[in-house]
Amino acid sequence: MSTDAAGGRSRPSLRGLAGNRWSLLVLPAVVFLAVFFLAPLVTMSLRSVTDPQGAGLSNYTRFFGDEAYLRVLINTFWIALVSTVTCLVVGYPFAYLMTVVSGRVAGLLLIAVLLPFWSSLLVRTFAWQVILRDTGIINRFLLDLGLISSPLTLIRTTLGVILGMSHILLPFMVLPLYAVMRRIDPEYGRAAANLGAPPMSAFLRVFVPLSLPGVVAGCLLVFVLALGFYITPALLGGLHDQMISQLIVQQIQQRLDWGFGTAMSVVLMVITLVILFIASRLVRLRDVFGSAVEE
Amino acid sequence: MRRWTTVVAFVALTSVMAGCGGGGGGSASAAPPSVTGSIPAAPSEGASASAGGSAAASSAACNPPRQDGVKLTFASFGGVYQDAQRKAWLDPYSAATGVEFTNDENSSNATIKAQVEAGQVTWDVVDVGNDFGLDANKDLLEPLDYTLIPRDEVLDGFAGDYRVADITYGVVLGYNTDKTAGKVPAGWADFFDLQKFPGKRGLWDYSEGGILEFALMADGVKPADLYKPSLDVARATKKLDTIKDNIVFWGSGAESQELIGSGEVAMTMIWNGRAWSAKNTDKKPVEIQWNQQIVTADYLVVPKGSPNKDAAMKFIAYTICAANNAKPSSYIPYGPTNKNAKPDPAKVADLSVSNADENSGYFDDTYLIDNFKDIDAAYQAWKTK
Repeated sequence: MSTDAAGGRSRPSLRGLAGNRWSLLVLPAVVFLAVFFLAPLVTMSLRSVTDPQGAGLSNYTRFFGDEAYLRVLINTFWIALVSTVTCLVVGYPFAYLMTVVSGRVAGLLLIAVLLPFWSSLLVRTFAWQVILRDTGIINRFLLDLGLISSPLTLIRTTLGVILGMSHILLPFMVLPLYAVMRRIDPEYGRAAANLGAPPMSAFLRVFVPLSLPGVVAGCLLVFVLALGFYITPALLGGLHDQMISQLIVQQIQQRLDWGFGTAMSVVLMVITLVILFIASRLVRLRDVFGSAVEE
Repeated sequence: MRRWTTVVAFVALTSVMAGCGGGGGGSASAAPPSVTGSIPAAPSEGASASAGGSAAASSAACNPPRQDGVKLTFASFGGVYQDAQRKAWLDPYSAATGVEFTNDENSSNATIKAQVEAGQVTWDVVDVGNDFGLDANKDLLEPLDYTLIPRDEVLDGFAGDYRVADITYGVVLGYNTDKTAGKVPAGWADFFDLQKFPGKRGLWDYSEGGILEFALMADGVKPADLYKPSLDVARATKKLDTIKDNIVFWGSGAESQELIGSGEVAMTMIWNGRAWSAKNTDKKPVEIQWNQQIVTADYLVVPKGSPNKDAAMKFIAYTICAANNAKPSSYIPYGPTNKNAKPDPAKVADLSVSNADENSGYFDDTYLIDNFKDIDAAYQAWKTK
């Protein structure tokens, strides 16, 4: 497709918006975002410095002054990172497979990815519990076979958390990957082979770079979603696998210390924004998420 | 500029998705001690009606006037628990007075706070846990009308200016008899004895839910001395260190019931209704050691600014009155708070109050609420160490 075919393709600018009446269509979305996302975010952020009265930065000093809370914060990012890498390692070959098999098989694979969306997160987490715990399926089986004499420690470990979270987050990795990979012209691979590249080299030097926007999109999506998890770590993790959302919920729901709870939320949000900003310096996010239109 | 619009769009997108994924289904909530499973058969009509109150305040409370056209919204913790409250209190009250009830099953301290702060109070009577309703929350609540509610009939320490206990339950030691090989743990000292009773231990991951108190009891602190002069968190966590590798934390009543029923843990701290359900509904080899239980309660409160405040007070008085207060025990093993109330004889052995003795502990709710920042910080430090 040539770029000049559609006027809407050109970068929207403020002047362009004013001149194009169609752009008014975006207004409801903007109003919606302002009312339901921006306003609550601002109210929430303000609360972290005004509750209790005259709080100032006291909620923040309380948070950063306590080693335990910092450990939980670091742990949150660590678990999110490991989950993301796990999803990538599993999701990349899977998405690649979807692009090389026939349409019918690809459809089946797609259903396999989407299937988990239709069952509740809580149910899936409980299912992992049933599989992993000391009296669970794996341990029962191995014990009955006599392969082990005492149960393996599978649950209440970081391993358990990563398994549970990766399972839930995998679709968010596979779908953007597949969307990008699908549009990579197989001719490129053939051209590389034609020019003498062995299959592996053609894959690594042609296909992988072209799929990078999908990789970045998937990783960001999974990472940011993973930061907000708390039920899965609470059910599958051990003492050290607590994530910050769990603390936030406790402050908001039980303790009614909304100042401290919102302060923790702001900390999480700011760090996430910083990460996104850094990511946007390294790769052009717009290309990543707009890749469907750009090509 | 453009970069930021993309970032914002991305954040919006992920927060929408987090709404369906990240949080996913019910917080690991405190307070609701409701049991799951089938409701035991209701007893014969006369069983609990015979327990008539004698005090004057009580009889007035027991016989509320007709109030046709009045509507009340009752918020509690849902499930079998709220069903029991409905059958024991709401339905008969509607029949006697004409008051119509709307039930909300998601009682939460945070919702009360949000309603009051927004000036949009839709809940009139709310069932809350023991972590709410003291002076710390006085800005959110209406003072109770003790000219209607028979305060002097309520168990000592279970009626406050803004809250009155409607049901009592026990935080108890539950054990799986298969895992203890028929031996009976005598109390919390045995809970911490991994030699005598091998296996994992379940504990509620909530610093003020009893974990620290039980560790102290196991270490020899008398229940009456738990908060004298202050809760010794350092001593408690030191005791907890001795079983740290064997602890399995739970976050909801359903989880505790599952852990002890399946034998994943040999023993657990558990709300007595959940242990009861593990045994009677799930048919699992689970028993309760009542020794060194902590007796605690759920409370009724009226959010500040409730448009039906007066009607709410009359209804609360009705639930506390001796003739009515024990009625939920016919449907669920939670006991009365009124000293004169007579629980269903068939259920009396399963109630926390019937099993209370000099070894039983009681939460000092005021102390816990006033000191939760320090207690929780110390607890988190221990946990993440």
